[in-house]
Amino acid sequence: MIELRHLRKEYENATPLKDVNTVINDGDVISIIGPSGTGKSTLIRCINMLERPTGGQVIFDGEDITEPGYDLTKARQRMGMVFQSFNLFGHLTVIENLMQPQMDILKKSKSEAYETGVRLLKRVGMSGREFQYPDMLSGGQKQRVAIARTLAMDPDVILLDEPTSALDPTMVGEVQAVIKDLAKSGKTMMIVTHEMKFARAICNRVFYMDQGGIYEDGTPEQIFDDPKKELTRRFIMHLRVLELNVDGPDFDFIGAGTEIDRYCMQNTIPSRIQYRIRLAFEELMQQMLQPVLAETPVRVTVEYSEDEETAVMNATYGGERFDPAEGENSLSYQVLKKSVEELTYSYDPEGGEAEASDADTGSSNKFTNTVKVLIRE
Amino acid sequence: MTYLKRITAGNAILLIAMSLILLCLLAGCSLGSKQITSLEQLNDPEIKIGVGTGTGTDDVVVKEFPKAEIMYFRDETEAYGAVSQGKIDAIVFEKATMQSAVRNGLTGVRIMEETIGEDKKAGIAISPKTKIPDLEGKVNEFMSEAEADGTLKEMRERWLIDNNETMPEIDVPENSEIHLTVATVGIIFPYSYYKGTELTGFEIELARRLAAWMGASLEFKIYDYDGIVAAAQSGEVDCIAANLYATPERQEVLAFSQPTNIAENGIMVRDTGISLANYSNKLKSSFEKTFIRESRWKLFLRGIGTTLLITILSILFGTLLGFGVFMTCRNGNRAANRITSFFTWLIDGMPVVVLLMIFYYVIFGQLSVSGTAVSVVAFTLIFASAVISMLRSSVSSVDRGQTEAAYALGYSDRKTFFRVILPQALPLFMPAYKGQITALIKATAVVGYVAVQDLTKMGDIIRSRTYEAFFPLIAVAVIYFILAAILTRIVSRIELKIYSRQRTREQVLTDIGLSDEG
Repeated sequence: MIELRHLRKEYENATPLKDVNTVINDGDVISIIGPSGTGKSTLIRCINMLERPTGGQVIFDGEDITEPGYDLTKARQRMGMVFQSFNLFGHLTVIENLMQPQMDILKKSKSEAYETGVRLLKRVGMSGREFQYPDMLSGGQKQRVAIARTLAMDPDVILLDEPTSALDPTMVGEVQAVIKDLAKSGKTMMIVTHEMKFARAICNRVFYMDQGGIYEDGTPEQIFDDPKKELTRRFIMHLRVLELNVDGPDFDFIGAGTEIDRYCMQNTIPSRIQYRIRLAFEELMQQMLQPVLAETPVRVTVEYSEDEETAVMNATYGGERFDPAEGENSLSYQVLKKSVEELTYSYDPEGGEAEASDADTGSSNKFTNTVKVLIRE
Repeated sequence: MTYLKRITAGNAILLIAMSLILLCLLAGCSLGSKQITSLEQLNDPEIKIGVGTGTGTDDVVVKEFPKAEIMYFRDETEAYGAVSQGKIDAIVFEKATMQSAVRNGLTGVRIMEETIGEDKKAGIAISPKTKIPDLEGKVNEFMSEAEADGTLKEMRERWLIDNNETMPEIDVPENSEIHLTVATVGIIFPYSYYKGTELTGFEIELARRLAAWMGASLEFKIYDYDGIVAAAQSGEVDCIAANLYATPERQEVLAFSQPTNIAENGIMVRDTGISLANYSNKLKSSFEKTFIRESRWKLFLRGIGTTLLITILSILFGTLLGFGVFMTCRNGNRAANRITSFFTWLIDGMPVVVLLMIFYYVIFGQLSVSGTAVSVVAFTLIFASAVISMLRSSVSSVDRGQTEAAYALGYSDRKTFFRVILPQALPLFMPAYKGQITALIKATAVVGYVAVQDLTKMGDIIRSRTYEAFFPLIAVAVIYFILAAILTRIVSRIELKIYSRQRTREQVLTDIGLSDEG
């Protein structure tokens, strides 16, 4: 069992882990997903102390391994790691890569180490390559040997840091097959990966990492099918998001138009959808919600789903209940309603607090009104 | 195939270049210059006159030939060569010495009849730091006695005029409470020179007589004229017996005995009348003079021994020291790193010869440590400094991932270094290391400055006897090449033993009886 308590990692100009608390149970197979730069690799590298955390504790089977003076070699022997760049020992043959650590660290005899090595190479499908040097192998083969080397130490926990990211797409499959097989062995595993299907297939638990920590933690069904939190949902659905804060009648609408164009360009959004996004924004903000703008700011988010090729625009605002359908500018409403798939209004007296992502605006407004526009090509 | 051809083409060009250089050397690259017959001709701005550094004859030249340009030479042999090849027009130096050189086979030069300037007085110079009480008084007393009973006069006639090279039997005590260390040069005939492997000459006999008279045991140390005064000043030796002129500058720092020899200043000029003799005869006789006569090859052997001793010890100690320091600094000990950086900066930033002299005259100046030991210390530091920087760069070029992988498997920091990092750094380290060995063996050529008779110094000594540059220099060069090649070969052998890059199945599986494996 691994317990992380208030784990924090700071670099000079970034803090990937702010305060991570979780418990990893024996036998858990955890996929760690999330956008790049959110500390996924940092997290598992802190667990075996390849990165020394700035603060907090890592408790491994009851022992605090972050304590100064703790003999890390003991803990690391029981936590194998598979690296993105394989890191096979270049001066040793494949079999020696498996044998040497067993002999040096586990003090196994040479013949014992050899037997284990041969058995594990067979398991990862690398029999017959024993006496080759790593630089004669392909990336996928190297990674399979690296996995075998990790297994040779018979660890309780295996940490895999983007094991297929450095591979040619044709080789990803062979390595994933080996890892899938491994996941059935009952060992505790943590795997950082960008391959969503693969992540889902092997694990019993998912960490979605964002905002300096484990943003959402759940079973694969929970995370992939029904994410509870906004950023998780955006990530899982491959949503491309644009946020605009229209803070009054003097808002720079021309600038916002340019920004929408740039956003569409960057995400290769089809031009017809782009046109409708602009239309919706103009009709909503410059016509229908004009009376609202005088009173309260309106927050606009545009989400584009690559998978479904649809865009959703949400305009939320506080203040009194105000349905644009009942507003004075019914012509605009009709125009918009016709050109988009759906145009709905909802009122929630509780309102949504400002999302964490725009907490920096400092607004404590309750966003009670929501206009939702669904755009399809 | 093309690769092979390119190499042979490259070799051919190299060979042609080398033979051109050799031909040039043999011919002496003679350039036409006019014959000098009168003193007036020498007082001309076109004229270059050579003098020995610190011999004081430059004063004479300034006075007699104010218009001429003065060129300084480290020793007379070099100046002789320069005159005979026409690089300079004349040498002003002790007439008797120059005459001896001509008598002993120096060709292409002529001694003029005239003597110029005031006669020079040579004496035994006494170190102010000698541990022998009242050495100056003793030397003067001995000199007075020797002058009075005619010994000195007889010696002068025998050595300086007759060039009779027989050294009489003098009973110098082997072990005595008084130990006299005498600095001399070994390259100036007939005062202090090597006959075969024996140090001999007028000054040597005088020093032996002095030691016998004092009841002291005797030791000679060989210096260049450049360094001999400094050696006496710093107390490395008790006195100097090297036909050293008592110039005013020297008298300021050293006490001189009454004159051992009063020398007239003569002039040596080039004799253009002599044509170059046929090459093969010249070569044969040069070879004979350089290697065979007086068993001079033994001098080369001795020099090789000394050079190898210094080089090999410096390599061993330097490698150990460098490795030790590197290991101390590796874990980021800030103080150790600072100190190391400072010392490597200091050592790398200084010319080797300066570093060596600082060690010899300043740091070990007061202690009686042999020049060889000091050289080993200095070159150990130089080599260690190189080893540290080579280790740093080769270790840092091993991918960081290798360290991480080893850590993740449970290797300790130390084990990671020795089992994973070092074996991968070595293939990068070794070529540089071998290059450094070649550099080191060449760099040791300066140890002559601190009274060590290494290969280069032996070449100088032989040149001072044969009055020829060609064979001794080429021999020394060739021997350096061979020594460097042998040393790097040995290192390569060791390298192969400790680290063979491509191991076969059998090598990997030694000690496992796996006869049944397919």
